[in-house]
Amino acid sequence: MKSLNSRRARAILVAIAAGSLALTGCSENTGGSSGKDSKEDQKKAKEQSQGVAYLDAAASSGPAEEVPGAKSGGTVTVYQESALTHMDPGQIYVSDAGQFSNLVFRGLTNFQEDGKGNVAVVGDLATDSGKASNDNKTWTFTLKDDLKDQNGNPINSADVRHTIERLYAEFIFDGPTFLQSWLSGADYRKALPDGGFGDKHLPDSVLETPDDKTIVFHFDKPRPDLPMALAMPGYSIVPEETDTKEKYDQAPVATGPYKIAEFKAGKSLKLVKNENWDPKTDAVRHQYVDGWNFQFGVTESTQTKRLIADQGDSKNAIQFTGTVDATQIQDVIGDPEVKKRTIQGYAPYVMQLSFNMDRVKNKTVRDAITYAVNSKSLIAGEGGAYGGDVAPNLFAPTLPGYDATYDPYGRLKTPQGNIEKAKELLADVPAAEKKLVFAYANSEAGQKRKVAIEDALGKVGIDVVSKEVDSASYYEQIGKVNNPYDMYITGWGQDWPSPATVVTPVYDGELIGDGQSNYSHINDAKVQELINKAITQQPEEAAKTWDEAHKRILEEVNPAAPLWYVKQFQLYGSNIGGARYSTESSYMDITRVFLKS
Amino acid sequence: MLQFIIRRSVGAAATLILIGAATFFLFVAAPSDYASLACGKDCSPTRLEDIRHALGLDQPLAQQFWEFMSGIVAGRDFPQGDCPAPCLGRSFYFNENVWDLIVDRLPLTLSLTVGGIVCFLTVGIGAGMLAAYRRGTLVDKVATGTSMVLSSFQIYFLGPIALLVFVYSTGWMDDPKYVPFTQDPVGWLVGLSIPILVMSTIFTAQYTRMSRSSMIEQLQEEHVRTARAKGMSRKYVFFRYAWRGSLIPIVTVLGIDISALLGGGVVTELTFSLQGIGRLAVDAATNKDLPLTMGVMLVGAFFILLMNMLVDIAYAWIDPRVRLS
Repeated sequence: MKSLNSRRARAILVAIAAGSLALTGCSENTGGSSGKDSKEDQKKAKEQSQGVAYLDAAASSGPAEEVPGAKSGGTVTVYQESALTHMDPGQIYVSDAGQFSNLVFRGLTNFQEDGKGNVAVVGDLATDSGKASNDNKTWTFTLKDDLKDQNGNPINSADVRHTIERLYAEFIFDGPTFLQSWLSGADYRKALPDGGFGDKHLPDSVLETPDDKTIVFHFDKPRPDLPMALAMPGYSIVPEETDTKEKYDQAPVATGPYKIAEFKAGKSLKLVKNENWDPKTDAVRHQYVDGWNFQFGVTESTQTKRLIADQGDSKNAIQFTGTVDATQIQDVIGDPEVKKRTIQGYAPYVMQLSFNMDRVKNKTVRDAITYAVNSKSLIAGEGGAYGGDVAPNLFAPTLPGYDATYDPYGRLKTPQGNIEKAKELLADVPAAEKKLVFAYANSEAGQKRKVAIEDALGKVGIDVVSKEVDSASYYEQIGKVNNPYDMYITGWGQDWPSPATVVTPVYDGELIGDGQSNYSHINDAKVQELINKAITQQPEEAAKTWDEAHKRILEEVNPAAPLWYVKQFQLYGSNIGGARYSTESSYMDITRVFLKS
Repeated sequence: MLQFIIRRSVGAAATLILIGAATFFLFVAAPSDYASLACGKDCSPTRLEDIRHALGLDQPLAQQFWEFMSGIVAGRDFPQGDCPAPCLGRSFYFNENVWDLIVDRLPLTLSLTVGGIVCFLTVGIGAGMLAAYRRGTLVDKVATGTSMVLSSFQIYFLGPIALLVFVYSTGWMDDPKYVPFTQDPVGWLVGLSIPILVMSTIFTAQYTRMSRSSMIEQLQEEHVRTARAKGMSRKYVFFRYAWRGSLIPIVTVLGIDISALLGGGVVTELTFSLQGIGRLAVDAATNKDLPLTMGVMLVGAFFILLMNMLVDIAYAWIDPRVRLS
């Protein structure tokens, strides 16, 4: 997944599709105090840290299980602050476009949830979640019968091949690159520069389509995560006959239950039913409402006000990837009638204070700061208990392998910081090493974080020199290897429920470079060895190796102080039915929404 | 008159080119660019280069600038589609022709501007004139006092209160929205009534005070007093001689206000979640979207230059002693 950064300032770049899996609190809201809600979330997180099941053909066939009380008809209004920047599936990597994608596009696989916290991978256009060879190097998928795009044209294996190959073209630059890299290496574009639009195609030794319905992937290493990777929106199908290359981003062809009726960039989007979508072929999605009207540019503050008021169109409205405005949380939880219209759960992000290890070389200083930081005051700035929970370690509750009791710095016992311990560690540290530059984004949230960090570290004798950074380019600035800062707050979440999508991008010493996500510049031989070992292991063995790597990173190296786990808290109108938190997307499960009247 | 318009138009074109150049080079001097923002996760140098190439940012700056400016008159051809003249480039962030984005957003901004002008000119000038006509009376004091209070308010203060009262608490009205006038005139008026009235409230106060003081000044002019001495009625002199003269400062300020509103009423649009030129300008700046920033800046500058020219023409109409030279 992404860093909590943003390609666009206002939007939290969150998880895409494959995201947040597992574990979160995901039930419909039953009210109660924030403390109770938080404990329920923790309980569910623990229950679900077993990973994701890959399901068979029976589970992958449609129609999807009926939502109790569901009715057909009506149009849902969608409030969203930031606009969709891409509609070409190959360019989709951020959360809002990922949610949109689940309404309009389909891939070979998809995530399926049961509302009890269990998440599995099922076949979407494929008959099942894929059949792997014993060594997980070869995966075979078979397409279902009677698949059509919005124009009524059949979808076959050539379309899947085209979908994969076009990702090698230069004009696709914004989507995920996992599959391409696995198939053709890091420099994958050179393997097929024209993206399969000419005569050249990927060889059968890499991608094989022996008949109209069969697709075979061949990898040089075991790829047990493939079914989850293929569920990312970025790998949704682009029918070959309809592909208009760069122009496709403005007018893509639907394969899912809805198609685009009107799109005004940055302003509005209207979706209507796709008559050529057959529910019998889809185990996940419904088509209860007639359409969706997206309104872009509606701030989270306005979204919350409108939905609290619940007047007119707002009764039929939802927050898409926005969250309840932090300043209005009390208005929401203080009114039972409003609070029952909320959903909540963990997002896949861990917020942490990353140390620039090229500058803060003394581990004792890093440890002291880790003890000193005040998670409570930081979380208060995020909306309190509904905005986040204290993070005792670097794995999010949404990640398989998460252990809520793993707390090497005693964060859960002293969420406001262990001042005495920090002072003790810093006693013999020279004053020069205690003067540190802290970079923060010049946003409202950034200002709050700056105050909390200055306050906490000032108590233990750290001389914090705060430097403001443009919020739009915050991650760009701190992502430079030679940045002039000692520490900065960063966030990260998984692309799919595997520590591989967290530990590798953030703590792999081979990935130090401008724009990379190894913000601390950690380069530890032991961590490196464990990463290289885990990514070739079967899931059960890999889990142990990832756990070892996690402990090595946090205790022996300490490149980042865990601060808080991000939580999602959304509001919807009173006429919305079927609202449920999706542990997969970390937002409302968009596939099952209906209007009550 | 024709010579004047031609001369000013040439000057305006030169000014626009200078503004375009200043915007472009100031923008690229900033420490970050859109390609880096768009690169996102795992931003390898190769990926960054891919993005730069796709956006044309790997070309020399002079060439980028020349292509942008020449595209305004000649149009351009992008891989994503044609961009006929006047082409203001293609937005990186929205992946849409900038001109199309502006044309799409302009009606809303135009509606707010026109609606606002009708309201605040009618009420503001009317109240100001009445106060001047009834100088020293209760009417004058009420008009002056009210305008003093209202002028201290801001849209971001009055706007949320208006929404709270008329929309969120009572449900008397729906959320503000734009409906094309040609499609539904009533819907247009109802949808924009709250933003227009809030915006007008602020401007009305300003025009009330200005028109009152301007009129009082005019009433003390020698030609007005002479007219009165000749036996003309107060009302006749007021409207025939004083009123026209008092318009000059009002027209001057009105020209500035209109150009600013057409350039984008940022606060109004953000307060009421409306998608006009102002919002577009904010999106452009936030996202380091160079073509969109250039486009919005040039459109704003165009309106300022246009209004300056119209104001100068209006001076000549209001006061025949003024010559367009």
